[in-house]
Amino acid sequence: MSKSRGRSAIVGIGEVPTGRFPETSAIAFAVESARQAILDAGIGKDDIDVVIPTGSLFSNQFSNELATCRLVEELGLRNVRRNFQVFSGGSSSSNALQVAGAMIAAGEASHVLFVHTDKLGTGVTAQGGIDLFSTAGISAEWEVPFGQHYSTVAALATTRYKHETGCTDEMLSAVCVSNRKWAELNPHAFFRKPLTIDEVMASKMLATPLRAKQSNMLFDGGGAFVVTSAERARDLTDKPAFVLGEGGAVTHFAYSQEPDLTRFGWAQAARQAFEQAGVTPADIDVAEIYDSYPIYQIIGLEECGLYPRGEAGPAVLRGDTWPDGRLPTTTDGGMLSKGHIGAGGSVSLMIEAARQVMGKAGGRQVPNCRFAIETATGGTYMDAQVTILGNEIP
Amino acid sequence: MQANPGTPAPPAKPRPVVNPWSRPFWEGTRQGKLLIQKCGACGHHVFYPRLSCPDCFAEDLAWVQSSGRGTVYSHTVVMSNAPSAFAADVPYVVAVIRLDEGVQMLSNVVDCDPEHLACDMPVEVVFEKLDDEFTLPKFRPVRP
Ligand SMILES: [Zn+2]
Repeated sequence: MSKSRGRSAIVGIGEVPTGRFPETSAIAFAVESARQAILDAGIGKDDIDVVIPTGSLFSNQFSNELATCRLVEELGLRNVRRNFQVFSGGSSSSNALQVAGAMIAAGEASHVLFVHTDKLGTGVTAQGGIDLFSTAGISAEWEVPFGQHYSTVAALATTRYKHETGCTDEMLSAVCVSNRKWAELNPHAFFRKPLTIDEVMASKMLATPLRAKQSNMLFDGGGAFVVTSAERARDLTDKPAFVLGEGGAVTHFAYSQEPDLTRFGWAQAARQAFEQAGVTPADIDVAEIYDSYPIYQIIGLEECGLYPRGEAGPAVLRGDTWPDGRLPTTTDGGMLSKGHIGAGGSVSLMIEAARQVMGKAGGRQVPNCRFAIETATGGTYMDAQVTILGNEIP
Repeated sequence: MQANPGTPAPPAKPRPVVNPWSRPFWEGTRQGKLLIQKCGACGHHVFYPRLSCPDCFAEDLAWVQSSGRGTVYSHTVVMSNAPSAFAADVPYVVAVIRLDEGVQMLSNVVDCDPEHLACDMPVEVVFEKLDDEFTLPKFRPVRP
């Protein structure tokens, strides 16, 4: 058995709704999420000995406050030995979970609190958001001068993937519809009105073939989780979210240096995660797949081995990933419908994966959910991170 | 074209933020040459410019002139919601180019009807002056 399989577990989760909250400060999202996570874990606040905030993109000043222990003081945590940021954009939650698990396994931490908060919905203007994301994570020497930004980044993968596999705009639009169906069931999601493929395909063209309703939108939000050892987790709850497998692959910094814009590093990361977890794609009950744009959800489903190459698009179109479908996918609505909150895009998905295996997903609970796969990536899809959670250790 | 009175001028185009070791590349484009690096130890071509070979780690990197020919690996036509400095340019094409030397670079495809853009189409380099200091390498379809 793998040394690190099930060495740690998520035992508490907290989250505030995604939306536009101009009157609320980012620290309030963080405090609320962290309190919920600590209370959900059934521990006392002073059990927390390590705090890992991630970066907040809307304000350097605020992000630096998180790095310099503001949250420890705001929450009144009295036994914290270390507070440090783990920040890698959209893959921050995966990297923080791995760091937390390793510290716990080494006996250097007992209860680790990870927190994300950002205010990209109301803390920056809409054009400011586009401008921020035309430079954040994009090479200032080799890509910014050519007008690269996140729509072109996604469009370049989409164009090549369509060329190689025959994937259609209808299939890509079906990803948006699938995620919207889940968001309809999630009170924390921003977009909850039913959406049709026709509406997606009629929306404004941003960068061919990518349309407005195939693009995430930026919002305010926050989330947190508590990680502890497997032994402690069993004391706290009957259904912890054991961390069974974690795989990762860094493939580029500058997007144009990615060797395969239709695959990225997911296959390698997923192989590691499945091997460590001791389960196979057939065992997966719910897939929380990174969905900042539809193309990445399709690539993620295929490269993780959940569908053969070229078959995820048709599967989404026929409803496999929808509520009551064969493979419930991105069940909180994802970045496309719950809303994109910066590094929180996959914090959200990690929390949802834990929520499903802990049996706490309410009206969108996947029945008998034992094993969840979660994917994350930062920057311009620079890394592929895959995490497998389960409420038992196989 | 004149700007509307009262309308703020669009921000200037972003200039490459240059690392000292890539100066020869930008000097080359100003002279109409596309320079890339070649590793003396393992023979790999290298782009973008590095301090040591990303394949074999040797520091023995020399500048060589690229053929300037390659293919479009992928492409997109920006239609709306562009970054401020590019808003006046829409529609414009962003593409990943695979040079014949085996390296990839981001660029724009110019002199091309967007309808005719295709993956794997052959292209060749052209040089577009940004200002007195910088000239950007762009690509156009190879005419038969
Ligand atoms: Zn070499």
